[in-house]
Amino acid sequence: MPRSDGKKILRVAYEREIDLLNPFTSQNLVDISFSKIEGLVTTDEHNQFVPVLAKTIPTKANGLIVANRDGTLDMTWPLHGNVSWHDGRPFTSKDVCFTWRFVTNPASETYNREQYLGIKDCQAPNDTTVVFRWDGEYAYYDGLFEAILPEHVLGGMTAEQIVQFEPYNRGSQTIGTGPFRFAEWKAGEYIRVVRNDNYWRGKDYPKIDEIVWAFIPDANTRLNALKSGQYHFGRILPVQVKDVATLAGYRDYLIPSNSVMHLDLSIKTPNGKALFADPNVRRALFHVIDKKAIADQLMEGTVTIANSPINPTSRFYNPAVPVHPVDPGEAGRLLDQAGWVVGGDGVRTKGGTRFSFTILNRAGATDRIAVAQVIQAELKAVGVEVKFETLESAAWTERWRSSRWEAVVSAWFLPADPSLTGLYACDGANNMTGFCDGALDPLLKRSDRTLSFPDRKRDLDSVQVYLAESARTLPLYYNVIPELVSSKVGNYRGSGTNFGSFWNLYDWTLAP
Amino acid sequence: MSGYLRRRLLQMVPLLFGVSIVIFGVIQAAPGGPEGSLLAAGRFVDPAVIESYRRRLGVDQPVSVQYLNWLRATVRGDLGTSFSTSRPVGALIAERLPATLELMGVAFGFAAVIALPLGLVSSRKPGGLFDTVATGGSFLGLAMPVFWFGLILQLIFSVRLGWLPVAGTGTIGASSFGDHLRHLILPGFVLSTRYIAGWSRYFRSTLLGLAGAPFVRTARAKGLTEARVERVHTVRNGLIPVVSIMALNLADLFSGAVITETVFAWPGIGRLFVQAMFARDYPLLMGILLMGAATVIVFNLVADLLYGLLDPRIRYE
Repeated sequence: MPRSDGKKILRVAYEREIDLLNPFTSQNLVDISFSKIEGLVTTDEHNQFVPVLAKTIPTKANGLIVANRDGTLDMTWPLHGNVSWHDGRPFTSKDVCFTWRFVTNPASETYNREQYLGIKDCQAPNDTTVVFRWDGEYAYYDGLFEAILPEHVLGGMTAEQIVQFEPYNRGSQTIGTGPFRFAEWKAGEYIRVVRNDNYWRGKDYPKIDEIVWAFIPDANTRLNALKSGQYHFGRILPVQVKDVATLAGYRDYLIPSNSVMHLDLSIKTPNGKALFADPNVRRALFHVIDKKAIADQLMEGTVTIANSPINPTSRFYNPAVPVHPVDPGEAGRLLDQAGWVVGGDGVRTKGGTRFSFTILNRAGATDRIAVAQVIQAELKAVGVEVKFETLESAAWTERWRSSRWEAVVSAWFLPADPSLTGLYACDGANNMTGFCDGALDPLLKRSDRTLSFPDRKRDLDSVQVYLAESARTLPLYYNVIPELVSSKVGNYRGSGTNFGSFWNLYDWTLAP
Repeated sequence: MSGYLRRRLLQMVPLLFGVSIVIFGVIQAAPGGPEGSLLAAGRFVDPAVIESYRRRLGVDQPVSVQYLNWLRATVRGDLGTSFSTSRPVGALIAERLPATLELMGVAFGFAAVIALPLGLVSSRKPGGLFDTVATGGSFLGLAMPVFWFGLILQLIFSVRLGWLPVAGTGTIGASSFGDHLRHLILPGFVLSTRYIAGWSRYFRSTLLGLAGAPFVRTARAKGLTEARVERVHTVRNGLIPVVSIMALNLADLFSGAVITETVFAWPGIGRLFVQAMFARDYPLLMGILLMGAATVIVFNLVADLLYGLLDPRIRYE
């Protein structure tokens, strides 16, 4: 490890250079930003929301959520009172309302802006209390405001100006309340933050002096850099885990990420509709795909098989969803019954249509392409032809959004709250498959509009069962993020949500 | 000479204009747009946000309008604002150019110091042991994928032996001049291999071609020593085509080395270009590509002028 002149410097081999530091408008996952910028909540290692600048998360039970006669809700967030921004100015409830106004403005380009739109008003009755008026019950209210913006820095600007305000985007005025202050961003090389000596949790926090995130985009180089002992922390690929099994001085953690690898089929193209509209045909395909082989052999046992889009670490996970056991005989029977008979070239046909479709691959996504290759080989055995088309990332996204595809192997990075509405409702913003189900929609929408855990759990349990029974999508395995952590690092509690593993940096320790 | 130079420089203007149209067209023809990066992190994104983003960047307008806007600003010296970082393109390029120039400069230095003697010694006894080994080495150098070679050197010299750092330009927080030089060795050497291989082969074959030339025969007949014949006659003449190849390669100085910079986490133009490409950051791509085109044109001119310096028979009118 490089010398550090007595200072405790945490060195992170980070997988990319981020674009900018504003957590709402950055197009990357923003775990680096959270060392400097805090919000009302974050997520812990158990996939749960925990309060940060909020003293507690309001619930009906603790009396901080009160229903009004007109169906609206008043939600009171008590805030810590001794918090100051890095420039010494006090953090108050007015900053929260300012953040709400920014986020809900379309020009703010906040990726999940629509989740905030149920808040109709924000009041700051005193410096340490903020009250949101919601238009009704909304299940993932507790996952919002993962960052708060400083009104005294950004207040005089329009949302469009804030989005392009270089001093905040780039560091010199990235004022937060977090345990570390911005120090330096060397383009293409690293971001360095230093200890905030006035951190509100007390003089004992944070416990390290500096953090350096070195941008090392190539996964093999990152592994070599970690092996050479120059870094304390780095994310590696699942297929690299065996390379570090015996690496002295490090421990590797397989963090279950809130992301499920799955096979999606679409009925938006004429060919997709001809092939996949019949649920029995989809079931037949799913009976052929051997998830266990994919998890154990392809992913070398680093991942666990998925049967639901919701991660088992979530309290909304339903372990009792039906599965499609590997059974090529049953697959053949179902396809025969559906009228798809094996033709002369070994590929099934029906009414002159060959059972042939294309999986749209994203170039460079080696794990997904490998999964697609396994699926291709397995489906061939039952007379189904799979072709590939590979596009570079931006081109892939454009095609995916425009629904001009038949099948994809893909993964979403979900927040700690498992709302599935955007993915599977008829009008879901990310439902590009063309499937629309009258029975599913009410369950999904009702699950979003309740604050009752048992009610929501019941609905989401039913949704998970329904998705499996109707063979809407085939969950393959839960992704893991292998994180290699030096044994000198203490209090690391890796989290697999989109907020990442740096959520409790204030508590991390670093032995000499 | 000055008339020639002026004419060549003036020719650059329509040439660059034409190039800008072509690259703008090619960039726009690539499927997908900058909004793709909103979704790249795998998050759900509000469709209204995507529309708002496209509108702010101006990519909702016809391509011809976008080009004219870009051209108007560029003529005034403003290369525009990068889509992905909201920062001026000129500043982004200026930030990254020194790192690329330095790395490429070191690679060129390594290459010149190794390639020219290699070519010279090989040419003295073609087919001999040295020549055979050098030929084999050159082909290996040309054939070896840069990313693989880079990783192997990292494994040997950084992970196993611990002599050199894996990546980056310096030890963050503890950098010194010596430390910086140590960081330059591996990427500089990896990058130099293709130049070593190319230049040494080229120099060797040029020298062999000259060995039987009448003026060399005359020099020998005058009674000059073999060393003097080599120094004064063959090497100087043999350098002419090699120097022009080197001058053309100098344009690489500005465009960076995409793979080497990625493998060694070197903060140069090459990596910036890759990021810009994946993010469909049109203004940044235009800036980098236009600079690349301009340097190729300039160094073509430099190569032509160097001919004249090295060969007095060549005159420019």
